[in-house]
Amino acid sequence: MTEDAHAENGHDGLPPQTAVKRWLVTTNHKDVGILYIVTSLFFLVFGGVLALLMRVELWTATQTVIAPGAYNETVSAHGLIMIFFFISPFAFGFANYVVPLQIGAEDLSFPRLNALSYWLYLFSGLLFGTSFFLGGTFSGGWTMYAPLNMPAYTPTVGGTTAVLALMLFVASVTVSSVNFLTTMHRQRAEGLTTLKLPLFSWTILLTVWMMLFAFAALLAALLILASDRIVGTVYFQATEGGSLLWAHLFWFFGHPEVYIVFFPALGIMAECFQTFCGRRIVGRKWFIAAMVLVAIQSFFVWMHHMFLTAISLEIKTLFMATTIGISLPFDLMVFALIYTMVKGKIRYTTPFLFSFGALVLFIIGGITGVFLGAVVLDYEFRGTYWVVAHFHYVMVGGATALFGGLYYWYPKITGRMYDEFLGKVHFVLYFVGFNLLYFPMFVAWETPRRVFEYHQSFVAWHQLASIGGFVLAAGFLVMFYNLYKSLFAGEEVDGNPWEYASSAEWSVSSPPPFENFPGLPSYGDGRLRFLTPGRGGEVADGGTATGDDALDAAADPATESDRPQSDGGTVTAEAARPEIARDETADTALPDAEAEEEHPDHASYWPLAIGLSAYVTFLGLSGIRMDTAMYPALTGVGLVMGAFSFVGLGRESFHVPEMAVAERWPFEGVENGKLGMWIFLASDVVLFGSLIGSYVFIRVAYGWTAWHVVPHDPIPGLINTYLLLTSSFTVVLALVAAKRESTRGLVASLGATVAFGVGFLYNKGIEWQELFHEGTTVGSSVEASTFFLTTGLHAAHVIIGLLIALFMIAQALKGAYLGEEGSRKVEYFGLYWHFVDIVWLFLFPLFYIL
Amino acid sequence: MRKIKLYTIIYVVLFVFATVQVLVEFAGFDYWTGLVAILALSAVKAVLVAGYYQHLVHEPRSLTALMVGSLFVALVLTTAAAFSIM
Repeated sequence: MTEDAHAENGHDGLPPQTAVKRWLVTTNHKDVGILYIVTSLFFLVFGGVLALLMRVELWTATQTVIAPGAYNETVSAHGLIMIFFFISPFAFGFANYVVPLQIGAEDLSFPRLNALSYWLYLFSGLLFGTSFFLGGTFSGGWTMYAPLNMPAYTPTVGGTTAVLALMLFVASVTVSSVNFLTTMHRQRAEGLTTLKLPLFSWTILLTVWMMLFAFAALLAALLILASDRIVGTVYFQATEGGSLLWAHLFWFFGHPEVYIVFFPALGIMAECFQTFCGRRIVGRKWFIAAMVLVAIQSFFVWMHHMFLTAISLEIKTLFMATTIGISLPFDLMVFALIYTMVKGKIRYTTPFLFSFGALVLFIIGGITGVFLGAVVLDYEFRGTYWVVAHFHYVMVGGATALFGGLYYWYPKITGRMYDEFLGKVHFVLYFVGFNLLYFPMFVAWETPRRVFEYHQSFVAWHQLASIGGFVLAAGFLVMFYNLYKSLFAGEEVDGNPWEYASSAEWSVSSPPPFENFPGLPSYGDGRLRFLTPGRGGEVADGGTATGDDALDAAADPATESDRPQSDGGTVTAEAARPEIARDETADTALPDAEAEEEHPDHASYWPLAIGLSAYVTFLGLSGIRMDTAMYPALTGVGLVMGAFSFVGLGRESFHVPEMAVAERWPFEGVENGKLGMWIFLASDVVLFGSLIGSYVFIRVAYGWTAWHVVPHDPIPGLINTYLLLTSSFTVVLALVAAKRESTRGLVASLGATVAFGVGFLYNKGIEWQELFHEGTTVGSSVEASTFFLTTGLHAAHVIIGLLIALFMIAQALKGAYLGEEGSRKVEYFGLYWHFVDIVWLFLFPLFYIL
Repeated sequence: MRKIKLYTIIYVVLFVFATVQVLVEFAGFDYWTGLVAILALSAVKAVLVAGYYQHLVHEPRSLTALMVGSLFVALVLTTAAAFSIM
């Protein structure tokens, strides 16, 4: 950004918050958090209106208002919007805003990627909305079971658009997961060890770990589904376990998703219980251990969603046991929350009421879910309104705490207090409406799911539920009015409006300053302090972050050891050393003259441009098989826009500071960029692992040795192995050349990598062309489908790698990437390229030899 | 220069192992013996690339744990799903 632009904008390079431009270019975590919250509330209204339409239809036992096909669309879209486009993004609005403040970071590790996550989310939601206008959206239920997800049953272009919208959403989630994990493992204030993280941050940390792996499996499922619908592969219509394969992939994602949705809510409950009971949560360490256990166990229970399928009784029994097992840590958490109330003194504020309400609803949802975990009972309940009632008590129960979070952090975000009376009115309408809506479903549980006709004897219960739905909706009208009115007329608040709030976000003004803290945050002797290095290591008191002073006046049952603490470590002399502090000043844009001159820029249009490009590309892809030039043209335009935007992003000068002093367990010594790449690759391992797993699953169903290997000859595959191995070798040479500051060596090595990569693709092209001539196409058999899709996805990775390499060659010719520091980007590219090589090392034997 | 020598040796080993995999296919072993041998060779190659070309041997063990963990997740899905229909 130019000096003039800086002068026009703030010292952060951003326009003021009143300008629309600010919200298009911002990369600041607090701005992005607000964008997430506002957008997710829009999708709450979208999904909520669809729910009310359903309740209107269900007023009588026969079809009246909504046409049958439209009802299917309404049910499916309601589920998909609420689960994907509302609940998690709503929680991540708070995570974006609050987590960096709680851990003592100035921003996330990759601010532009954070903005990119948001724009991909927004455009994925818009793409989903667009699907309604393309012949109708997806109508096969939110679980998208095969073969209902096949074009034979859901033939509209809009159905495919919805699938692609979900893929775009997963891309957003993956980028976000990489960013949060890097930030939370590398940018915690000194002394803030992992165990001492505030509980909301703990839940977000576990959530993003689950997201990283679970959403990669969903991406594999959606890739295969999109391929079946667009390219013509036959995975999910294969008689050899095709529909079971979808169920495995979907629920391997789907069950962790329950905790991905619920954990942030649990974190808010824990924060609110501590703040409004005036004491630290009972059994904090055990509470954390229970959450870690649940996060791990969540990947070992998915088949309890498949008890009615043809999987073996042995595996059903095993998964029944693991399902019962996962309820045990939850018992501990529930009792910890209850006992915290017993030991503390409750203040019945709106955030507490919502948090307490969430606990009550979750207990009901949890207990009714245990029924479904038992194989025999599940045979009876599956496909009925028992399931509908149960998961709404769990999922919307979780959302209840998120609304509590909205009230809890509203004064922090806006600097003004909401209207407490209206907040309580909202809670009453919400809680009454919720139970009026969902509890009758337990009574009328024999009503079949997703069907608009039901037995006459259930009419009264369904009418009660419909009334409840409108009461619940009325509560939100009150909430929106309250939040809007308070934005202008609410009482102004200082840093901490809550007497016993103890985490670090409450130690700064409301809203917090752009750089978050007045100095480098550090936890010493149990208190948060700000080191102000520009003034010789002076230490400023962080105010109320420990809550100790406040708790002197706390409820009498709270003993010293029970008090909420921000559990710092030990302040060391090293931490306050002026020389370290000065380094930090240069790197973290602390209010120091030197940093002022650097003008760190927080504005970028490219994340928005990439999001828009993705929208156009995916919109084009969704109808590319139609007999019209519009869709291919859209795809082409989107790809060109995307290429232009990525190059723009790559060329943009953007200062991303790393904290010089921070807690970094367990990734000390791995810089942010490298850790980000490794975390991304971990997700890619699960993506390719899921695709290879799909191949293994279908082959086992088919009969392993009866399977026909598609290529007749392993030699073309062997040649490609040689080519990729050699290209990996040249990438290593490129890194050596970059470290030796040899531009010629670097360009030559990268050029050789490109040549070998192109050779790989050319060889593959010849191989595919021969197969096509022989009549072997992507859809001619399930063997052919697995071969073409898996090796095709790998080839797509090669193409992306080649594009990056070409960009790097162009930059290297201008003298970039030299020396220890400069060569890091070559190393990151190498990590990706070698990973692509490793994948091929397994694809080659599996698809060419065995 | 020592580094380049090491990288070259690894490259040669990878090249040879890839060739051996195809030779195993034509060697007339029992199918399952051949399968285990070929996949074992792939695993060794992958470890060499990850360990030396991606420098995992020189990085903190936490990065290795991250990759092993993600591989474990994929294997859980693959093996449990396959077992469910056996």
